[in-house]
Amino acid sequence: MIALQLVVNGVLLGGTYILLAQGLNLVFGVMGIVNLAHGAIITLAGLFTYWFATQTHQSPLLLIPAVFIVMLAVGAVLQRLLLEPLAKLGRKGELLNLMVTFGLSYVLVETALNLFGSQYVSLPDLQTTWPVGGLAFNEALVAAGALGALISGGLHVWLHYTASGQALLATSQNPTGAVTCGIDVRQMRGIAFALGTALAATAGVLLILILPLSAPTADTLTILSFVIVALGGLGDYRGAVMAAMLLGLVQSAVGYYLGGDVEVVVPYLLLIAFMVVRPQGLGHATR
Amino acid sequence: MAPRLQPLNLVILIAVIAGLGAVPLFTSAYVLQLATDILTLAALAYSWNIISGCTGYLSFGQVSFFGIGAYATSVLVLRTGVPWYLAAVIAAAFSGVVAALLGTVMLRLRGIMFALGMLGLARIIVVVASDWNFIGAAGGLTLPAQLTPVAVYLAMWVAVAGAFALNYFVLHSGWGLSVIGVRDEETAASAIGVPTARIKTAAFIMSALAPAAVGGLVAWNRSFIDPPSAFDPSLDLQVIVFALFGGVGTLWGPALGTLVLVIVGEQFWAYLPDLQLALYGVLVIAVVLAFPGGIVGIANRFGWLRRRPVLAPATLSTVSRPPQAPPPGDGPIIEVRDLTVRFGGLVALNGISLSVRRGEMVSIIGANGAGKTTLFNAITGFVKPSEGGVFYQGKSVSAIPSYQRARQGIARTFQIPRLMESMTVWENTLLAARYGKRGGDAVEQAAWALHTVKLDELWLEPPSKLSPGQQRRLEMARALALEPTVILLDEVMAGMTRDEQAEIRAVLRHFRELGVAAVAGVEHIISAIADISDRMIVLDRGKKIAEGRPDAVLRDPLVIESYLGKVS
Amino acid sequence: MSASPSPSAGQDALRIEGLVAGFGDLTILHGVSLDVAAGKVTVLLGANGAGKTTLFRAITGLVTPRAGSVSLFGEPIAGRAPHLIARAGIGHVPSGRELFPRLSVGIHLDLGARLCPPALRAGLRERVLGLFPEIAERLSQAAGTLSGGEQQMVAIARALMTNPRVLLLDEPSAGLAPKVVLSVFQTLSKLQEQGMSVLLAEQSLTFGLSVASRAYIIREGRIVLSGTPAELSAERSVVQAYLGA
Repeated sequence: MIALQLVVNGVLLGGTYILLAQGLNLVFGVMGIVNLAHGAIITLAGLFTYWFATQTHQSPLLLIPAVFIVMLAVGAVLQRLLLEPLAKLGRKGELLNLMVTFGLSYVLVETALNLFGSQYVSLPDLQTTWPVGGLAFNEALVAAGALGALISGGLHVWLHYTASGQALLATSQNPTGAVTCGIDVRQMRGIAFALGTALAATAGVLLILILPLSAPTADTLTILSFVIVALGGLGDYRGAVMAAMLLGLVQSAVGYYLGGDVEVVVPYLLLIAFMVVRPQGLGHATR
Repeated sequence: MAPRLQPLNLVILIAVIAGLGAVPLFTSAYVLQLATDILTLAALAYSWNIISGCTGYLSFGQVSFFGIGAYATSVLVLRTGVPWYLAAVIAAAFSGVVAALLGTVMLRLRGIMFALGMLGLARIIVVVASDWNFIGAAGGLTLPAQLTPVAVYLAMWVAVAGAFALNYFVLHSGWGLSVIGVRDEETAASAIGVPTARIKTAAFIMSALAPAAVGGLVAWNRSFIDPPSAFDPSLDLQVIVFALFGGVGTLWGPALGTLVLVIVGEQFWAYLPDLQLALYGVLVIAVVLAFPGGIVGIANRFGWLRRRPVLAPATLSTVSRPPQAPPPGDGPIIEVRDLTVRFGGLVALNGISLSVRRGEMVSIIGANGAGKTTLFNAITGFVKPSEGGVFYQGKSVSAIPSYQRARQGIARTFQIPRLMESMTVWENTLLAARYGKRGGDAVEQAAWALHTVKLDELWLEPPSKLSPGQQRRLEMARALALEPTVILLDEVMAGMTRDEQAEIRAVLRHFRELGVAAVAGVEHIISAIADISDRMIVLDRGKKIAEGRPDAVLRDPLVIESYLGKVS
Repeated sequence: MSASPSPSAGQDALRIEGLVAGFGDLTILHGVSLDVAAGKVTVLLGANGAGKTTLFRAITGLVTPRAGSVSLFGEPIAGRAPHLIARAGIGHVPSGRELFPRLSVGIHLDLGARLCPPALRAGLRERVLGLFPEIAERLSQAAGTLSGGEQQMVAIARALMTNPRVLLLDEPSAGLAPKVVLSVFQTLSKLQEQGMSVLLAEQSLTFGLSVASRAYIIREGRIVLSGTPAELSAERSVVQAYLGA
């Protein structure tokens, strides 16, 4: 029974991870932009949600559409100002992208620290547990997992089966060729980053209902998301789902048998192990 | 090969720095502390510069080694009573060992993954340190006051001098060219004999030494360490900002960046204590987008602080070397037996057998996808055969990594030139010459190679200033500089004007006089090589379909049908 | 034979006048003028480094011209963003093909078809696949797994699916087996029969002259010679000199 519960917990945890990572899968997996500010965006959105809920006593879910739309705009602006100038460097610009987003992450985290302090906060809204056949299903995790799977599925279909999604894939694989098809590659880059950022922020709004977040630990979310995207095979949504599940299961088991301290370390060890043994991850890269 | 130092300049430099360095000793304690902080950060910035600036592996690891050094020194002194300065040195050595072990795993990762891995590593270390009672766990260690501020200050100078010296070695020595070569073009570096894994590990170890020593000294200066203070992640940010601002990958960048930003910062942080890291973040963005070369980059535009090309003689013309005769022996130079190479479901080479014999030039033609480049990659070790073997001078090379095959005398050029962009034409060639098979003076060898392909006049230009044809000639010079027994040319004629083709043909016609035993060339521009080849081999879809004298092969109906088509 | 563009009968598909372009401090094109007649194949011959690819990039907008004009059936297009120039009707087959390695051949055609009016797409696709039967068999194959010749076909097919008014082909024969070059050649002849206006950049004299109705020779960023293939063949040694050195 314990084993089964661990599996359930692991799967649900995996669902949460998918929510975390899918914005990054678009930005890093498909477009190749190493966004080290990913965790900071999630955290900032989550902390803002906490503030909103405690100040206005309204349901935080109300924030989702507003945050999504605002972050689309913010993401587009950030991309145009900070990343577009480096786009012409192609592969050689990868490390410069990394440094720019590294700087950005500090700006965002420090802002969050100044606005919201350094404590862990969380909202107890969805913390009930549904007992089903002797197993406990945490409501928040179920919601997060379901939403995560839905969004992942939607993104996968969009990328591979719609004209605009294919245009994005084309841009990521060969911008020169994409231009000959009349694709505005600048716009595509902006859309990808804006969408990825909006997804990350939305994940933050939901995450504060599940996990405690704090400004100083924002980068653990970044690393976690990169682990999932890398393990899943860059840009592959099915792979990312598998990787998230794997991570969730391993952490669940390790946490139970070896304690919380070791559990924390699991993602990094998995990343290093995979990068050495199977660098292409579990899925198939789209880039 | 020791880097050349101009003695008088060096003496003046040391005197000036010693003078400036003595100043804080005679002013207030505040200035002394500030100066110590500057030195600490400069040492860290220089170490980061080695692995990230010069080797191209962006590392968030300075904080990890700093903390390791802090703990190692503290534990050593507390538990064994070893004097602190010795403890710092031992801690540095220990840190180097850790780096060596870590490097075997981490350096195999691609750039981005390496950076993320190092970030994650810092997290793991903090968790481990917080739980490990031997080092005081979360409570930390209290250290008895043993050092005077002056002693720490002077010891810091030693650490900085050491880190500076390592940077100088990387940027101005022949060995250092290998590091920069790895950064610019790791694959091509391997093809000219650079042992890339070893070079990366060495650079990584070098970058771990100073932070550890400095960490130990800082711990003693503070009389207390615990995991959060020893492994403070914002240290990485600061170090990166300073090196970037000053000029990443340069000799003076880290010093200038640290000096300017810490002194300027001191004025600011009093007013805006909470925004320091945010502003550093903004600064990183600004530097990368607006002036990625940092202060030194700007100075370079005015002609200051430019890097001198390594080991460049006064002029090329006086330095040269007559070629040596090809080594004696018989039997084929290269032999490929039943070679099959599969990539997933695709069969690139299908049980191919061929040989390149002593004294001959073989041209290999065939449609795209026929397997020509895969063949070269298998011979030079960039691709592993699925079946069959590659033999060089009668011995199997399957166990020999590509850089060693290059050193043993198999040289190659690349279809798309892979030249090291941040080195001059001269240095590109010199790097290959250092790994030349028969030993001897690399400078002479490189000069001769450039002379042979007639690139003498452009020897101090960067590859970006060369035309496509000149770039291919540089690739040839690099191959010649290795003193190879056999040269494999991959579509060397493409992109060349007719005159340039004629020059390469002249070089190829006389390859035997250049000390080369055999040449194999893959080509599409058949007219450029047919008349200078002794033998021609035609590949089609991974198989050999014709072999023989060029005129006969080009009339073979099978070849006409599969490759040439009906000639009108 | 003349060194300046001949007067055109009827509107030119593409008229380029006094085009100046380069990178950074370097000027590569020093006032190039040429005309692409509607429904005909025009070839631009030149050695490596003479400026052919720069000219193409200036026409397609990948490089902004510093001076001069480019008109597509009378409509000025110089200075527009490259994707807008593609939308205006310039079909570009870049040297190096520039395909999407992990996307299927079919999707390549779909992506090109974005620029084709929906009503015409089905018919155009049928005609294009008829022109390239080998790729019709490989619609679901990823472009990165195709041979060099097949990739060239896909690149041309993709450009044709954009329903272009003028097709620009940059050295389609480069790096291809002679046999494959012949089939590209045959494709061009068929295109000409169908009335497509084509501007072809080539290094190979034989290939270029055999398929074109008018030829320009570019050297060091200037047009030095132009004429019909017959006229240029008669002066072969002069032409060789321009191309060779």
